[in-house]
Amino acid sequence: MHPQIEEIFDDAGSRYLKIEELRLVAQYASSVPDRLATYRSLRDCELDVMQWVADQLQAEMPQEPEATLERSITNALLMLRHCGLTMLLNQDSIVKERFLNWVQPTVEVYNTQAIDARLYQLLNQRLDEALGKQMILLSPILLMAQNALLPQKVESVNGVAIGW
Amino acid sequence: MISVADLLIDKQLPGNYFAVDTYVRGDLEMGLIENRQGDRLIALPETLIQAIYAGLEKETGQASRLVLFNCGRWWGKNFYARFREQLTDYYRLSPADMAMVEFLQALQQCWIAHGWGKIDLDHTHQQRGFLVVKICNSPFARLAPQNQQTSCHLEAGILSAFFSQLTGRDLHCLQTTCESMGADCNRFVLGLQKRLEPAEGMAAIADHDSIMQQLCQ
Repeated sequence: MHPQIEEIFDDAGSRYLKIEELRLVAQYASSVPDRLATYRSLRDCELDVMQWVADQLQAEMPQEPEATLERSITNALLMLRHCGLTMLLNQDSIVKERFLNWVQPTVEVYNTQAIDARLYQLLNQRLDEALGKQMILLSPILLMAQNALLPQKVESVNGVAIGW
Repeated sequence: MISVADLLIDKQLPGNYFAVDTYVRGDLEMGLIENRQGDRLIALPETLIQAIYAGLEKETGQASRLVLFNCGRWWGKNFYARFREQLTDYYRLSPADMAMVEFLQALQQCWIAHGWGKIDLDHTHQQRGFLVVKICNSPFARLAPQNQQTSCHLEAGILSAFFSQLTGRDLHCLQTTCESMGADCNRFVLGLQKRLEPAEGMAAIADHDSIMQQLCQ
């Protein structure tokens, strides 16, 4: 759960929540059905989306060894799952501490930024088609993770302006 | 063609096993902390670490360094066994089969999760048979008596046993810089005991680079 909401509940036993605190809780609670629906959609389309991305990537980059592409795809799957959980629980620390801390050094060592940039472009494009309006909840987290991993910023989830 | 389904193991994808928020769990009612595998962890209060240093110094004098080093050896041996077990269970790979970068990532995250600071490896002198390990923000150095000697004998023992188990060679460990002496981090040199002997005791009078120069001559 979002740390700000957790903090609100720390004091909630000894007093009633203030209006602004209740507003924050209500805001999160009302978004839960959408978050759950988006999470389910993401889970259900993950394999199809990633398989399409993998096929495109392999066709566009036949010179890259399969193992290198597989590493980037595996990292992207991991990113998608962590972003999904972060979106569901509205807790940014999940993607930062569990995913970025883990994957960032390997991306730098294997120097896969060029592949990753194209992969994110394809991924965002396909996710946009598969999830439609549900991307509203997912895209800010996805962009945050992708920007942290690439030297040049990803500017749009629809994949128009990814620098690589 | 790449099959994405084949990249998953039982539909799962191993991530950061040692992420702090998932690795350390506590049961306040029982007064227990444990790791995600269910193994008990022990919390070392600062006062206890300081008392161990002071008590050993009083009881054994100069020998306290050797006592701490040997305790570290014992600890490191068990630590390696647990680390190996956790990696093998979770990633389905033994440390020996992991790519260096992934092994180092796991070790670094594991070190952080246990509150031992940030560990890094320096391979510059690997061709000459030495591995340099750097540890920053070590609680064992921070709480050690501040004097003109290196003080991370416990960690030196842990590293010696850990890397001996990993490489299958009996490696000794020598500390060359120490945060308790005002250094930016603690540096340890791992190598065969006989080859490290010329640098024994040099940390008090020479810097890390000079010691490495002496060792690599």
